[in-house]
Amino acid sequence: MIPAKENKILLVDDNLLFLNIMVQAFKKTGWECHTASSAALALDKLKVGVPDIILSDYDMPGMNGIEFRQSLMKLDEWKDIPFVFLTSLSDKETIEQGLDLQAIDFIIKDTPINVIISKLNNILLTVNKQRELSTIEVQNAAKALNIKSIPQKTPQINGYKVDFCHHSYHDIPGGDFIDLIQVNERFTYIVLGDIMGKKWMAWYFTFGYLSYIRSAVRFAALSNDFSPASILNKVNNIICLDDILQDILSSLSLLMIDTQEGIIIYSGAGDLPLLHYTAEDDKLTEVKADGLLLGMFADTFYNEEKITLNKNDQLFIFTDGMIDAADNGNIKTDYQGFKQKLAPLLANGTKFGDIKERLFDMNPDIVVDDQSIINITKTS
Amino acid sequence: MMISIETDTEGYVSLKTTINEANLNNSEKFKAELTTLLDQYHKKAVLDMSSIGYMDSSFLGALVSSLKHAIAIKTDILLVGLRPDIHNLFTLIRLDKVFKIYKTLNEAVAG
Repeated sequence: MIPAKENKILLVDDNLLFLNIMVQAFKKTGWECHTASSAALALDKLKVGVPDIILSDYDMPGMNGIEFRQSLMKLDEWKDIPFVFLTSLSDKETIEQGLDLQAIDFIIKDTPINVIISKLNNILLTVNKQRELSTIEVQNAAKALNIKSIPQKTPQINGYKVDFCHHSYHDIPGGDFIDLIQVNERFTYIVLGDIMGKKWMAWYFTFGYLSYIRSAVRFAALSNDFSPASILNKVNNIICLDDILQDILSSLSLLMIDTQEGIIIYSGAGDLPLLHYTAEDDKLTEVKADGLLLGMFADTFYNEEKITLNKNDQLFIFTDGMIDAADNGNIKTDYQGFKQKLAPLLANGTKFGDIKERLFDMNPDIVVDDQSIINITKTS
Repeated sequence: MMISIETDTEGYVSLKTTINEANLNNSEKFKAELTTLLDQYHKKAVLDMSSIGYMDSSFLGALVSSLKHAIAIKTDILLVGLRPDIHNLFTLIRLDKVFKIYKTLNEAVAG
């Protein structure tokens, strides 16, 4: 189910005629409607996609509305979907029972449909407003604590230009994290990670990961062991020992720019292959690592790739949110599709700064995740 | 249920996913179901994922966590029926090195 801008409702009623009338009315006012003629079928529909609100009949054969609501309450991912009972009953006891199950409201079936729709619009407005306020509160708390998973500026690196672009999903911080760590004039580390989760739950863990990565890079510099693979190995082993993070997996691309040697050393953990644009022949080629996701198994081996950029060559490092694409109304993961779309944008040596926002406009309707991309361009 | 039980034989239990879009909304429930089944049957699980057309990183994380659980209780999860896009994703992020992936149940059982 592709996220759409209109409200999504799941209508549950065993009276098919009434269901059809409701669907027509809701669709006319711009709602996306999904229907089920029984509570059991509604549970099946929820496995495919979650609506913004559920409007359910009370009196249905098999599982009635109260039992349906009780089933939803047992599951974390369904219990918070706003739920409204629609019934011909005006029985006080039944209404109380429904409201005890945190149903938001009880609407009598005789209510004119346009009033029902208005009521649901108001309920969703209130729910969304509350969610926005909660989001703002957490964002303010994060700001007050001065914790950031995306840098505010890029370092100046002799012979290279580093730039990045990050869009969080629905403006809620998520699992992508970026860091650019200049340890001295010679070495700069580029970090791009993606915690395997979404929204707040992933975002909270980005700081644990970033703390370990930053520490590992600093300790590596202090001990003159600059190898990105060695750093990844240490970070992975620490994560596997961390009681909290050991169940949280993350991909990581770690690159070290060595300005003295004019090379980039790359090591990757479960990350997507990088894309290397060579200006001389106008070609885009993949650069692959072979390390597994961080947190998967201790003592994982990470290899290193040496990358040499010539003047005006570019290197792209990105997370999986960049490669989601639309496919006949569904979403699919399409790395090759992204590569094919990126290639013509770079023709004739076009700079990242001129195209970066266009990269995010490729599939605006199917954005379901954080999107992050880092570009390294050789300038001399 | 997001996972149906197809066959239960001496050497393995054959399971099948019932969802199309595997994402944050169902990843935790999927992990809970799969780890419960692993504990219950305590044998190699062959999971047919042909129903899944899209899988996000939350779900991949849940799948890998389930595999870690399987390994911890000395069993395994074998994957079959991956659609080409999903199989490509597994290859891109090296999950094909972690999971044993087969085209069909028969191939998985034959090893």
